[in-house]
Amino acid sequence: MKENSLWKDAFIRLTKDKWALASLIIVVVYSLVAILSACGFIAADWAQEVGASNLAPNAEHIFGTDIFGRSVFQKVVRGTQVAMSVGLATSLIAIPIGVVLGAVGGYFGGWVDDFITWLYTTFSSIPNIMLLISITMILGKGLFAVYVALGATSWVTLCRLIRGEVMKHKEREYVQAASAIGGGHTRKLFKHILPNVTHIVIINTSLQFQVAIKSEVILSYLGLGVQGEPSWGTMIDDAKLELARGVWWQLAGATLAMFIIVLAFNILGDALRDSLDPKLKGK
Amino acid sequence: MTAPLLSVRNLTVEFHTSEGVTRAVNNISFDIPHGKTIGIVGESGSGKSVTSLAVMGLLQKPAAKILSGEILFNGEDLLTYDENQMRKLRGNQISMIFQEPMTSLNPVFKVGEQISEALRIHKNMNPKEAWDKAVDLLTQVGIPNPAASAHKYPHEMSGGQKQRVMIAMAISCEPKLLIADEPTTALDVTIQKQVLELMHDLQQKYKMSMMFITHDLGVIADIADDVVVMYRSNVVEKNTAKHIFQTATHPYTKGLIACRPNLGNNPRRLLTVSDFMTEAGEEIKLDAGKVEVFDKESVPEKSSEILLEVRNLVTQFPIKGGLFGRTVDHHKAVNDVSFTLKKGQTLGLVGESGCGKTTLGRSILRLIEPAAGEIIYKGKDIIKAGSEEMRQLRKQMQIIFQDPYSSLNPRMTVTEILTEPLIIHGVGANRAERVERAKWLVEKVGLKVNQMNRYPHEFSGGQRQRICIARALMLNPEFVICDESVSALDVSVQAQVLNLLLDLQEEFGLTYIFISHDLGVVNFISDHVGVMNAGRIVEMDRASEIYKNPREEYTRTLLSAIPKGKAGLVL
Repeated sequence: MKENSLWKDAFIRLTKDKWALASLIIVVVYSLVAILSACGFIAADWAQEVGASNLAPNAEHIFGTDIFGRSVFQKVVRGTQVAMSVGLATSLIAIPIGVVLGAVGGYFGGWVDDFITWLYTTFSSIPNIMLLISITMILGKGLFAVYVALGATSWVTLCRLIRGEVMKHKEREYVQAASAIGGGHTRKLFKHILPNVTHIVIINTSLQFQVAIKSEVILSYLGLGVQGEPSWGTMIDDAKLELARGVWWQLAGATLAMFIIVLAFNILGDALRDSLDPKLKGK
Repeated sequence: MTAPLLSVRNLTVEFHTSEGVTRAVNNISFDIPHGKTIGIVGESGSGKSVTSLAVMGLLQKPAAKILSGEILFNGEDLLTYDENQMRKLRGNQISMIFQEPMTSLNPVFKVGEQISEALRIHKNMNPKEAWDKAVDLLTQVGIPNPAASAHKYPHEMSGGQKQRVMIAMAISCEPKLLIADEPTTALDVTIQKQVLELMHDLQQKYKMSMMFITHDLGVIADIADDVVVMYRSNVVEKNTAKHIFQTATHPYTKGLIACRPNLGNNPRRLLTVSDFMTEAGEEIKLDAGKVEVFDKESVPEKSSEILLEVRNLVTQFPIKGGLFGRTVDHHKAVNDVSFTLKKGQTLGLVGESGCGKTTLGRSILRLIEPAAGEIIYKGKDIIKAGSEEMRQLRKQMQIIFQDPYSSLNPRMTVTEILTEPLIIHGVGANRAERVERAKWLVEKVGLKVNQMNRYPHEFSGGQRQRICIARALMLNPEFVICDESVSALDVSVQAQVLNLLLDLQEEFGLTYIFISHDLGVVNFISDHVGVMNAGRIVEMDRASEIYKNPREEYTRTLLSAIPKGKAGLVL
């Protein structure tokens, strides 16, 4: 007998899409690499000299070495850890803010909603890069500042989406039915409405994750991000000068790593939207 | 005898999706002669819309596969046509009217532009000619002030007017065949009557053939010459309208005719399709004992205890206007309504959409806060009740909504949905006890206990409505508001749900307010009927009185709009 929840249905649909499945696997592999690197199992000695300076890619060093003779591959792995941690931290900051503000604003309406709308309109009216730069200026350079800066800017989209979706669901008859059986605000909002908008959070996170990764690269490239540690951004920054001397592998390594994960998240995000969005169900 | 205009022969259509293969249309054949109207009846999912889309060449490929058959239009097989040839035919020789006038017009174009579009494509008219013709067509379909209306956008028109615009578009190229897919289902009875009359007149005028798809036998009786009955992808019966209604042979057709509540007689229970045939499709002999007609007036009043009294109730919505969206005025959706309802009785509320009947129902439960008046439930004014007191009262007063698709939370199983009211009110010692009560009610409403771990999307519309009924009854209420609770269901399912509501009323001594736009349904289920118009109850009396001797002009208009069939064929 078939007793699938919408979630299970969605997952089955997702795994039927080969590209989505491949993207999911890539995301899992990147996450594992990041975790292993963070725990010090791999790429812990990235700072060690492993060969001559600026060796081109070869069998021993598949991405070659940098100017100090360090393995570019190990730096890419290390950079993966930074990139994934930025994506994760950004989501951890943005999701609670976006969901709570969006849900409260959409559900209660009135002046609460006016205030929240005002807040995110104000935030979104400041160019993101300016806000990022000013936050890193205040908090000082470094990974922590990048987390805060990206977290503080990326909740806006989610908040807006959740607010709209909650407003829509609030009028649905099943929420009215919950009122009719005596359910209070907490029950209606958390038990009834939120589970029906969670898919928005998942889709949005998957798409925001890669935006955060790209933003970290940009910030680090501008010298405002990660300090004293390899990240894809700093690697691309280094490659600026190296390219003139024909040393392309540092740029290639970082770009390739970034390209694959960003593409994977994009495909996954689209596939998630297709499989989770009930409006498209059955089409 | 001349060859028919359209001849569908041995058509079989299947849908191939990731969930498997479904046969939507199974080896069906029928003809549409020149200048005649063929009605195709059947419940949702019986394959009638798929048939019409196949004729139009609009089936979604590659999911839909036409396995066999021919669709001969003027002797040529449309299935051999390529997309280019079909496009020349569509809108020109064959055109179509859809069910939902709200979504089948493009909101960003003026209606005049939308009508002239087809004329410019198929008749090579220049913009000026096409526009003039569009205005002429709007005149023919009875749109007031057509020259100015052509400049309107769809949202500036009412539902009935939009459907008229759709008809104008459909007949603009004087098609030989007009396909109408449930064209009046979304409209009020009075508007439905006008639209049907209009379609009939135009059909006569242009000598068109018409393929009229509907689930409503009453409408078919009004408009069709011949009827094709579809059931589970098959054509089970085809004949002239007269024969179908007088001497139906297939048990499904008999069931379909019998299950429709009508004003002529008052059965105690409605017959359903299952009284005529088994699930497997075998005919069973009708149990004569089930056809019990009674006179409502002869039944003594069940009790004299007044359960609910509404006095001068007003519910209003602010009208925002001006630069800063300030409230400039109020729209009184419910305007000075008063009535009393005795225990164990059913009060029917009828009226057209927008008359305030739904708002009235929700105001009584304070799901919408009324602005003034008193709602006295068991001697206490519940408008004055505090929030905790109101929460306690909700145990006794319940509501069943119209749309069984949106009134169940899609992320909860049936068990979760049914036990929730008990959890909220702390009824039942533990989970097992609550689930026990849920099981008991699930069986009472005619579902199976082993389906309780399923999610709403795995049930049909009728089953979902049963879940809603079970949820409403979980707390053992005394008073239930049914807000258009059977309107979204097929007639045959509607009859089952109505019977269920009556059985439950008898068993639990429930008191109902039954809100509907369908006068037949209200007449069947109600003891008293209130007719609503523009926020007021214009007439209220015993059901039989209202239908026999309507006092108000408005009531008479409503009653005369009910489809009765040509020359009083059936109903």
